[in-house]
Amino acid sequence: MEEPTGTLRYEKIDFLGEGQFATVYKARDVKSDKIVAVKKIKIGSRMEAEDGINRTALREIKLLQELQHINLIGLLDVFGQKSNVSLVFDFMDTDLEIIVKDSNIVLTPANVKAYMIMTLKGLEYLHQNWILHRDLKPNNLLINREGILKIGDFGLAKAFGSPTRINTHQVVTRWYRSPELLFGAKQYGTGVDMWAVGCILAELLLRVPFLPGETDLDQLSRIFQVFGTPTEETWPGMKSLSDYVQYKHFPAQQLRHIFSAASDDLLQLLDSLLSLYPPRRCDCTQALQMPYFSNKPPPSMGPKLPMPTNLFKMEIEKPSLKRKLLDNIEGGSVAKKLLQF
Amino acid sequence: MAGNFWQSSHHQQWILDKQDLFRDRQHDLAKLTEEEYQKVFNFFASIIQVLGEQLKLRQQVIATATVYFKRFYARNSLKCIDPLLLAPTCVFLASKVEEFGVISNSRLITTCQTVIKNKFSYAYGQQEFPYRTNHILECEFYLLENLDCCLIVYQPYRPLLLFVQDIHTQIQDDQILTYAWRIVNDSLRTDVSLLYPPYQIAISALHIACVMLGKENLKPWFAELNVDMDKIQEIVRTIINLYEMWKSYDEKKEIQGLLGKIPKPSPAPQR
Repeated sequence: MEEPTGTLRYEKIDFLGEGQFATVYKARDVKSDKIVAVKKIKIGSRMEAEDGINRTALREIKLLQELQHINLIGLLDVFGQKSNVSLVFDFMDTDLEIIVKDSNIVLTPANVKAYMIMTLKGLEYLHQNWILHRDLKPNNLLINREGILKIGDFGLAKAFGSPTRINTHQVVTRWYRSPELLFGAKQYGTGVDMWAVGCILAELLLRVPFLPGETDLDQLSRIFQVFGTPTEETWPGMKSLSDYVQYKHFPAQQLRHIFSAASDDLLQLLDSLLSLYPPRRCDCTQALQMPYFSNKPPPSMGPKLPMPTNLFKMEIEKPSLKRKLLDNIEGGSVAKKLLQF
Repeated sequence: MAGNFWQSSHHQQWILDKQDLFRDRQHDLAKLTEEEYQKVFNFFASIIQVLGEQLKLRQQVIATATVYFKRFYARNSLKCIDPLLLAPTCVFLASKVEEFGVISNSRLITTCQTVIKNKFSYAYGQQEFPYRTNHILECEFYLLENLDCCLIVYQPYRPLLLFVQDIHTQIQDDQILTYAWRIVNDSLRTDVSLLYPPYQIAISALHIACVMLGKENLKPWFAELNVDMDKIQEIVRTIINLYEMWKSYDEKKEIQGLLGKIPKPSPAPQR
């Protein structure tokens, strides 16, 4: 018998979520009996269809094919049917956004440290390979039931380091966007990812987004209200950025007043990740060597990390009924977004 | 991506063994001699090169497209997909992968039509470019699949620039780079991109350039390299063979006959 391939190889189990470019399903790999996530790329408009295999998908395929790290999502297979391409990934039970929002979960300092280590290690590997992720947010930090965190969604990731290359600054979801991007910088580096990691760390402590700006200008205003308005002395070259606007003078606040429960070594890391002047921000390797990661408490081991309470309950509750319900709303907006790659 | 070549799919999956490559070609080599087979690939490399130039692509994109083309037929017979369809498809995919920006499909088709008509009429006569957008899009899938989704190709150009920079600390000579660069371009018409890592191809191109220019004083530079000189010699020989072949070969006269001999796909149902 021939080996099952393509759509025949993956049995749809559940609808997981829908993003701008793709629909994600939970599926069973008939060949290996493993549970996987199948990301089906939308064809989009007729114009886009003329473009052939979707660029975002192609970017994910080409990068993930070259990258193997425990803290990066693994691309297991790619298959096409008609003019539709699907990507098969490791199945991940949940993500950091769900965990942060779940009020039944207590995040201990040891938990926070474990998430940070896994994020920074995955990101360090990416940066060592000269790739910027450019869209880090809790929702893209995926976690499985073994407590392993993997960075997902490489649709915006790009090679960096060419001094002549002009990049777009319209990347990164606004709340995690660094001040240089907000000022329209076209040449940037790992600092944009480090800033996002800083915002995620802050969110783990506060359990709400740290800087939820409503517009790009409001985003900068919120940043400066915390860190103080930068000057040409503290940020040389700031005024020559294309979207630079003068902000009124805010004094810098003490981070320990905002994060009153945080330890000193954590505040030191946070301060370094969230430096306004990009060259002053630490990189992943420097961050991982900071005292915070060698001081007590040690990070939680994978299986000790919390999981959303409804994760296991959902599977016990009459799955057949649930599937029926989900099938009915498939494609609709009612479906709860569980996983978005 | 300027990542790590040694951990790349290029190094781990796509540096092929000579015997394996030869074995996988047996089907096509039943219809064509080894030399004829090389001449056919030389011809399609020209098509990709001219298409790329007409579309104003960078040489890096053209080189990647050519390697895709060679990788596909390293595993498949020429009868699987008409090379005249696969060539523009490789250009299309490579330009996306290398983030070159959008080549609209209609522009690609128009360029194919004019190029075939104006530059390659000696091969195709009055015959027009027979494919349309939908063919390219369908073919793109087969290409991606047969490349095992390995899209990032390392080219010899970057290591070449590094070596030349190093040489410049000893002697100043701009001619070396110009020559070696062209030799790397020519190497795309042989199998070396399937068989050897790009840095070895770059060193070989430098070696040939130095011999051509009579640069005796670079001998110590080569002697100090910690590199497998047997491999370099193999690559050099392959490229020199190509130049020997060109001397006695009139593509304009022979290619039509060769194209007639290549294994053809079984006629597809009309759609």
